[in-house]
Amino acid sequence: MTPGRRIDPMQDQELHALVDGEMSAAEKVALIDRLQRDHYRRTALCELRNLKEMVRTAYEEVPVPASRPAPDDEPEQGRGWLAAVAAVVIASVATLFAAGPELLPGSSERFVLLDPDGKGARPAQAGDEEMRIVFHVSGDDPEKSDEILREVEDMLATYGEKGRKLRIEIVAHGKGLAMLRQELSTQKEKIAELSRRFPNLTFVACMNTVKRLRVEEGVIVHLLPEVIPIYSGVAHVVKRQQEGWIYIQV
Amino acid sequence: MKRMTTLFATILMTLAMITTGMASANDAGYGKQKVVYHINYDNPKKQAGALRNIQNHINAVGAENLDLKVVLHGKGLTLLLEPEALKRTKLKKANATDEMQAKISGLKDQGVKFNICANTLRGKKVDYENDLYDVDKADIVPSGVAELAKLQAQGYTYIKP
Repeated sequence: MTPGRRIDPMQDQELHALVDGEMSAAEKVALIDRLQRDHYRRTALCELRNLKEMVRTAYEEVPVPASRPAPDDEPEQGRGWLAAVAAVVIASVATLFAAGPELLPGSSERFVLLDPDGKGARPAQAGDEEMRIVFHVSGDDPEKSDEILREVEDMLATYGEKGRKLRIEIVAHGKGLAMLRQELSTQKEKIAELSRRFPNLTFVACMNTVKRLRVEEGVIVHLLPEVIPIYSGVAHVVKRQQEGWIYIQV
Repeated sequence: MKRMTTLFATILMTLAMITTGMASANDAGYGKQKVVYHINYDNPKKQAGALRNIQNHINAVGAENLDLKVVLHGKGLTLLLEPEALKRTKLKKANATDEMQAKISGLKDQGVKFNICANTLRGKKVDYENDLYDVDKADIVPSGVAELAKLQAQGYTYIKP
C-alpha cells in the first residue's frame, strides 16, 4: 500500500489481522515498521481499535445465548460497524427468546412497543419540533440519579409551560438498574410522581441485566410499576441515537 | 531507490509533525468539528484523562478546526474547585491543583470553553468568583443537562470520556 493515501479502515485486511491478533511476530514487526511511515494507516488502525473496543463494550452487557449459531464467514467488507450493531441486537433478542417470557412473571404483556405511534423513530428536524432525549444510566451513584431526575423534572416543567414538545426516556442497565428496582431505588416516590405528571417521560429497564442478575447472582428483580422493560438497554440507546435522539450518559 | 523513498517519507513525516494543527488536520481529513465533552464525575484521574483526550482530539483535528466545549455539572465541578475552597462548599473533592490548572489553562489557550451549571453552583454552595479556577460569568449556563441537549440539537457531537 502506498504510504500517504487516505484509506477506509474497513478495507484494510492487514490492519484487521493486527487488531485481531492473527499475525506472527515477524509480520507484526514488518507491519508496524511500515505504519511508522504511514500516518493514514496509523489513524485507520486507531479507528479499528476503537471500533473493536466499542463492540466489546456492547457485548459485555449481552450474555451469550445457550444455543449459539455458528458464526458466519468473513463479514461483508465495509459493513463491519452495521454488522456489529445488528449482531448486538440479534444476540440480545436471541437471548431473550432463549430465556423465554417468564423473566418477570405476569409481565410479558408489558413488553410493549415504546412508540405505538411510531413518531419517536423520526428525528426532529426543525427547531419547533419535538425535542427527544435519551438518558443512559449505567452507574448506581444515587447522587447522580437524584440530580438527573431534578434536571429532567425542570426541563419537562419548563417545556410544558412554554408549550414546547419534549420526549424523554431514561434507560437503565447494569448497575444503573438499581434506580428502577423496588428493592434498591432511593427515588420510588419521585419516579411515581414524575410518571404521573409527565406522560412524555418513560423509564426503561434492560431485561438482559434482569436476567443476568437472576442467572449469575440468583437475584429476582422487582421493577417499579412505572418501568417499561426492553430486551437490551445498550441496543436501545444505540437505536435511539440512530433515530436522531439526543443522548446523555448519566 | 527504495531507501531514498523511505528517507523522503521520513522527512515528510517529521515536517508534518513539526508544523502545527493546520497541516495535520488537512492530512487527517477530519474537516471542521463541533464537539461537547460531558464531565459529571469527581475522580481526579478520570478528569485528567478527559483533559488528555481533549488535547489528543485537538492534536488530531487542529485547534482552528475545532469548536470544543466542556460541560461541567454535579460532581464534575470539582475539576475547577480550588483545594482551599473545599470546606466552603458541599462538594466532596477539589481537584483544581496547580497541575490541573495548568492543563485547563493550556486547553483554554487553544480555544476550549468550559461551561458551568448554575443549578450545581446553587445546590453545592459554590461561589464561582472565589471558589472556582478562572471562571467568568459568561461561562455559566442555567442547566448543564439542558445545555448538553441544546448543543447536541445545534449539531455538536457528544462525548463522555
